[in-house]
Amino acid sequence: MHPLERLLNLVALLLDTRRPLTFEEIRRQIPAYGQGDAASAKRMFERDKDTLREAGIPVELEPTDVWDVERGYRIPSEQYYLPEIAFTQEELWALFVAAHTPGADGEAEIAFQKLSSATDAGLGAVLASGARAPGVDVSGPHLTAVSEALAGRRAIRFAYRPLQGRPGRRTIDPYALVFRGGNWYVVGRDHDRRDVRSYRLSRIRSSIQEVGESGPAPEGFDAASHLEAGPWGLGKPAATARVGFTPRIAWLAVAQTPGANELRTRRDGWVEVEVPASETDSFVSWVLSFGDDARVFAPRSIRDQVVARLEALASGSADG
Amino acid sequence: MAEAQGRKGDRTKRPSARARSTPKSSVRLRRLLAAVPYIVRHPGVRVAEVAALFGMQERDLVQDLNLLFMAGLPPYGPGDLVDVEIDEGGRVWIRMADYFSRPVRLTSSEAFSLYLRGKALLGTPGLEEAGPLASALDKIEASLGPDALSRLVERVRAQSGAGFERILTVLRRAADDHRRVRMEYFSASRDELTTREVEPEHVFAAMGHWYVVGWDPAVEDERMFRADRVRSAEDTGERFEPRGLAGPERPLYSRSEEDRPVRLRLGPAARWVAEYYVVEDVRETPDGALEVTLPTKDLPWVAKLVLRLGGEVVALEPPELSPMVRAAAARALAPYRRSRSGDD
Repeated sequence: MHPLERLLNLVALLLDTRRPLTFEEIRRQIPAYGQGDAASAKRMFERDKDTLREAGIPVELEPTDVWDVERGYRIPSEQYYLPEIAFTQEELWALFVAAHTPGADGEAEIAFQKLSSATDAGLGAVLASGARAPGVDVSGPHLTAVSEALAGRRAIRFAYRPLQGRPGRRTIDPYALVFRGGNWYVVGRDHDRRDVRSYRLSRIRSSIQEVGESGPAPEGFDAASHLEAGPWGLGKPAATARVGFTPRIAWLAVAQTPGANELRTRRDGWVEVEVPASETDSFVSWVLSFGDDARVFAPRSIRDQVVARLEALASGSADG
Repeated sequence: MAEAQGRKGDRTKRPSARARSTPKSSVRLRRLLAAVPYIVRHPGVRVAEVAALFGMQERDLVQDLNLLFMAGLPPYGPGDLVDVEIDEGGRVWIRMADYFSRPVRLTSSEAFSLYLRGKALLGTPGLEEAGPLASALDKIEASLGPDALSRLVERVRAQSGAGFERILTVLRRAADDHRRVRMEYFSASRDELTTREVEPEHVFAAMGHWYVVGWDPAVEDERMFRADRVRSAEDTGERFEPRGLAGPERPLYSRSEEDRPVRLRLGPAARWVAEYYVVEDVRETPDGALEVTLPTKDLPWVAKLVLRLGGEVVALEPPELSPMVRAAAARALAPYRRSRSGDD
């Protein structure tokens, strides 16, 4: 008998039974376990049980009667079946897209298959029309390990190499996972620094080690605010700047910059844009990245910093 | 396309080891138990549709259905077995499988995996499916219970410029239907805004950006474009024959024969350049700087990179790069000098 056929019979039998069945009873019912000696049949049954559990099937061991003399196996149907969720065809398609992102493991795909199997909406027509899932790469290293620790409320330890500063081990209570700009971050409370920090998963240089229980996130915790970033750098913007752009680039600058607002087009053709800002190097660098297509009108302090940087570069004193 | 060109694709490569030829029994069992309820609910569905939906080869599906046909309950008489019927037209019916008529609940790793991807997609700007995806994830959350998934991922709304979604939709439709588009594109590497016609074959997102891969008939070569640098796109209605260009799994950066070595010295605040772009011959200097070689076809974007990083980067090679940076700084300074008389 093919192993798959044996497994199917085992699932059907344990799902159908009202009371737990001992191995002896199972052996009498399913011919495949009845062949050969009892010990090897038992070993085969143990392997099959593991296979079922691996497939997410809850095989329970329970007393066969109130005196607890013998124990038997059963698959409780209330734990076996996926609850019915009614999805629209558009929702099903969106889940298909999520399950078929590049680098997706088989887990997401099987989750999608089970969900689509439990609903009346079908994707046959959509798939037949040749529609393709847009390949959006949302994969990230260590994602499974971190999400499991987060869901299980476990603290984690890992080796980390920050963009700037010293590499080293970090121990954190994970509070949230955030996906931004194509990268996954875990935000949590750093045990040694006694503060909330964010870590990019792609900069983690070791496996994720679970180290005990994690404390809960503070009331009203907002992970996104720990990752607020823009031309002004990290954190909240301190000021608003007025920056002019040449028409060939203004549309791009506005589209790429969160919070940017087009104000007006000046008589000389330059487009005036309002941008969240602060007097930091990162804001000055952002302006300089547009070269001669951008100039700061206000505030004066930022404008002076930009001019000073440009003068140094133009004279070559910053370059060498 | 500065960033598309030199940017590192640090996406993780997963082995495609889920071998199609001999899947493990547990994998076959999982797939089959997922597919059977679908067939029960859609009597007479095509085998090809089921295979496509459940990621199986048609041959493997038929083989597994033939085994299902032998399974059932003791004493395994004709009335106890699952009834599977496949007709000559490739349509399939399953009856007498009450216990297999609904799928198995999600394992936690299945639920996490789909949920995390879904949430991440919601943080990708410009995705057409975002609305239905959000409601589907809400339904999953509600069904699995508040403790299973809630707050696992913070939803971060990524902003995007108005019109960007519309451009993405035009590009995706054109790629699906094999129609040529006319677009205005800002090439950061060449620092110019151009109008061109492109035959788009793939539209995908990676590392936080949407890319379009297409054939450019004017240069008779394939090109990769950053969708957020497309100023306008219109469908010309002209159909093309796809050439099978590589899609989302392609590297975001590939070497070109026209590449020339650009040597830079990076100060501490500019070390990210070595992580962000593909660099070679990395050497640490005694004073803590990093010297790297950045292979690239075009110099204008490197000049802007040096400008942006101010004194943190020194252009070592080629010799014409330093004067280019100085000239660019002088050009950027000119309007400030003119307006000193009080233009604003």
